[in-house]
Amino acid sequence: MKAITRANWLKSWEFLLFVVFVGVIILNVSLSPFFLGLDNLVNVLQLSVETIMIGLIMTLIIINGEIDLSVAAVMGLCATAFGLLYQNGTPLPLAALLTLGLGLLCGAFNGLWIAYMGLPSLVVTLAGLVGYRGLAYVLLEDKSVTNFPDEFSALGQHNLPGLPIPATLILFAFLFIIFFIVLHYSAFGRYVYVVGNNKTAARFAGVNVRRVKMILFTVSGFMSALAALVYAARVGTVRPNVANGLELDIITIVLLGGVSIFGGSGTLIGVGLSMLTVLSFRNGMTLANISGSVQTSVIGVLLILSVLLPNLFQEVQTRWRQRHYSEQQVQAGKERDVETKQPSDVTP
Amino acid sequence: MTSRIFRFASAGLVLVTLVALSVASPSGTLAQSGTPAATMSGPIATAQPGQNVSLTLLPKQLGNAVFDEASSGAQEAATELKSTGKYQMVGTDKADVPGQIGFIKNLTTQGVNVIAISANDADAVVPALKDARAKNIKVVGWDSPPSKDGRDIFISQVDFSFAGPVMADMALHILGADGGKFAILSATADAANQNIWIKSLKDILKADPKYAKLNLVDTVYGNDDAAKSYTEAQGLVDKYPDLKLIMAPTTVGIAAAAKAMQDGNMCDKVKVSGLGLSNEMASYARNGCAPEFALWSFKDLGYLTYYTGYLLATGAIKGVAGENFTAGRLGNYTIQKDKDGGLFVLLGPFTVFNKDNIDKYAPLPAATMAATAAK
Amino acid sequence: MNISSFIRRSNMRIEQLRELALLFIIILIVLFFGSQIPRYFTGTTFERVGVNVSIIVVVAVGMTLVVLTRNIDLSVGSTVGLIAFVVGQQLSDHHNLSPVLAVLLAIGIGTLLGMLNGLIVAFGKVPAIVTTLGTLAIYRGLLFAYANSTSIHTQNLPGWIIDLPRVKVLTIGDLNITFLVATAIVIVVIFQLALIYLPSARRLYAIGSDPETALTSGIPQRRLVFFAFTICGALAGLGGFMYLAQIGTITTVAAQGLELEVVAAVVLGGVSTLGGTGRVIGALLGAVLVGIIEQGLVRMQFNEFWKQAIEGLAILIAVVSDSALRTRLRISLSHNQAMPISTETEKAGPTL
Repeated sequence: MKAITRANWLKSWEFLLFVVFVGVIILNVSLSPFFLGLDNLVNVLQLSVETIMIGLIMTLIIINGEIDLSVAAVMGLCATAFGLLYQNGTPLPLAALLTLGLGLLCGAFNGLWIAYMGLPSLVVTLAGLVGYRGLAYVLLEDKSVTNFPDEFSALGQHNLPGLPIPATLILFAFLFIIFFIVLHYSAFGRYVYVVGNNKTAARFAGVNVRRVKMILFTVSGFMSALAALVYAARVGTVRPNVANGLELDIITIVLLGGVSIFGGSGTLIGVGLSMLTVLSFRNGMTLANISGSVQTSVIGVLLILSVLLPNLFQEVQTRWRQRHYSEQQVQAGKERDVETKQPSDVTP
Repeated sequence: MTSRIFRFASAGLVLVTLVALSVASPSGTLAQSGTPAATMSGPIATAQPGQNVSLTLLPKQLGNAVFDEASSGAQEAATELKSTGKYQMVGTDKADVPGQIGFIKNLTTQGVNVIAISANDADAVVPALKDARAKNIKVVGWDSPPSKDGRDIFISQVDFSFAGPVMADMALHILGADGGKFAILSATADAANQNIWIKSLKDILKADPKYAKLNLVDTVYGNDDAAKSYTEAQGLVDKYPDLKLIMAPTTVGIAAAAKAMQDGNMCDKVKVSGLGLSNEMASYARNGCAPEFALWSFKDLGYLTYYTGYLLATGAIKGVAGENFTAGRLGNYTIQKDKDGGLFVLLGPFTVFNKDNIDKYAPLPAATMAATAAK
Repeated sequence: MNISSFIRRSNMRIEQLRELALLFIIILIVLFFGSQIPRYFTGTTFERVGVNVSIIVVVAVGMTLVVLTRNIDLSVGSTVGLIAFVVGQQLSDHHNLSPVLAVLLAIGIGTLLGMLNGLIVAFGKVPAIVTTLGTLAIYRGLLFAYANSTSIHTQNLPGWIIDLPRVKVLTIGDLNITFLVATAIVIVVIFQLALIYLPSARRLYAIGSDPETALTSGIPQRRLVFFAFTICGALAGLGGFMYLAQIGTITTVAAQGLELEVVAAVVLGGVSTLGGTGRVIGALLGAVLVGIIEQGLVRMQFNEFWKQAIEGLAILIAVVSDSALRTRLRISLSHNQAMPISTETEKAGPTL
């Protein structure tokens, strides 16, 4: 993991994101006078709180060199199970606990195949994406569960007494701090990076690669279940198609946050900034009444540009150096760059 | 070498962009459906044109033909009323509950005068709508209404309880006196409207002896996806070899089922009916695959929704049961109260389409006529 | 007799073994359904599966080429939908547009869209998953913009395209092979042969198997990856045309989610997402397997909510068995030939 010194912070992805974020804020303010209202600022995060919650664990998973496509399906399954349990008379706290347990189980099941059997996470979680969603439909079929108790819904929808922000955002802030400490200041966090950088080297250095991966995927299941509970409180209705397609949004935000899809680099600060930027951007566009599909396309373009532009810039820089400097200096320049950017560009 | 590819590719990009931007949208105006009758007691409120009413249409999702029709109707009303406020249609690109809630909250922040919503989930949107109403925003439900606490009024396209008799009558008409087997192809399993309509159909089949010979054998779901509905329609025919009719109370399902039957050369044996858009189903009405189907005018629905919203926002009506008002070219309406206490306005009866009247609603476009003439 | 000696004796490649296993499973499933469903073994069943699967097969062939190079193309669904709409619109406005031109238009647009993907992945060096996630959204957005709140209706389309699904190419007794099915079969045959006999096609395997070595051995990696994406786009374009013919009424959400079905078919067919292994025939078998399962469930009056859960399970089983098979083979073959076992991230099997 690279140390972010003041010198290379300016060249870093996080700084670029920060600039973009400020740009987005300015754009939003100019597009709509309503943007800076407190209610709206709360809405920016609150309306996508499940996305950013799961984004926290997704960051770690991608840094670790894996991916989890099944998070939204697990969330749907847990939401459905939660609704079903509650509807059949289970007291709410118990139902919530059982739901969290179910999430843990799903995550562990994924982890079993990925960590201990060594299967590629893309296909295992692809199977999960289809399979867990299918199970959700088997559970609830064509119905929905809606009449959750008011105290529960209040947690999701209203602000805590005396504070201007809802409980869900406080929960998120709390989770963000935990994940931040774990990723950037603990041994486990370092393992996550190291394994993502080079799995074999990590193993030879004594890191229990399997355990790291197992833990990550289990936590992913847990976070999906937690997000399901938050959703049930916030929206008040659960159906099997809850969070359909959410995984793409989550992955987009994480990748835009500077986390390399190859693993081994990225920070939670970057992802945090990306969350703020993307969600503000969407909010601003919605306030300006720009349609959903345009918004999604724009984010798609941003996603591509976020990797393409640095690559092109790198290419131009190398060629310029090749023309003006000696071969030695070019090589030295490349090595310097490798430290501050994403890994190898050999693989397409 | 690389530069060659880049040149080639940029030419290609320009071409793609040009193709994408050359918008040539065919005009599809639905003819107006019948005017509702009214024997009214009490004063009839009329709208004062020229006022500043901003109304936003918020359908379940964008990109759905029926909602686009509704929007064109609302636009027509806005122009007629010379409203100086802004009219727009916004929405998510998939039918997504949290996304729609997000739009409601954003519209509340912007302080529009009226939110006209077709809800993805009747209950989930209520808290956000309540917040909107607390800020004096009027909420008018249409097509798929939010629960009564979330809205001021619901513009009901048809009396939902009539959906059953209309579909049963069409089935009887198509299957004839001897009756026969038929099946339902619905949308998603959790679609509120469809489930209400299907229940009303099942109720009347049981209750009225004249439908005794109609045998409903199965209900399957096409998830409002054209390819899946196509497959499910084929599956029905395979499962029940003596099936005579597929009833699809969903515009996506009915069109897909009709194509499936046509592709399989089954139109003589298996007919298709249900709720369908006149222009999507026109070719099938003409060739007999879908001899009868019904719908209401989404354009009129949008028109009436706008009028009602305008009247509410300007205070011309208060939104209580028994109030009468005039809605432009559609005539007079009365606000009614339904069993659960919610207020609604009934647009009008179903329109049944068949090959005799289809030309009125979905005339053949010029290109097809020229091609047929040239043959 | 263990697996490795069986393979060496019969000169079979690992993929062929995998495909045989898949074929065996398909036969088992067909027999099972045949025992449960009356009138299963008729031409109708073949037609049903054929019709439902032919579009996926055509797109899956293109996806196979991309996945072989250790990439993926998630934008195919949006591509199919966009092209179905654009071609549908052009046909609605210009009835005298000849069928050949219409198909060429479809393939042409698809090629351009695929080239854009290829440019960004091969030359812009943006990872495929990122690129195609982006173009998935962008192409769908283009469709929304082009459609501008309208959809394509069958009454506006010329008769020949509406009737295309009914055109029979071959009739063997009870069995009718329609035009769309025949198209899919022809595409599979062409590309399967190309992958076996064309040297540049064979290099795709090398790229996916070991990119670094491929680079040092002089394979024009970027160009080939670019071509893989281009062809994938072209085939998606053909798929779009077929979608228009089959479905008729095209809306802005057409073919949403198709990419997942195609990836599932490809993965089930033994084409590894790690690159370097798998054949077009495998993708065909994978798509057929999913089609047969779906068709059987629909006819068996099974609680259809189980279908997706079963599909997920099937993918998992396929991946697990793939991995187990390859690992066992690798180990047993290396024992016999004294080849070192690589400890790197899973390679695509021994180089036979």
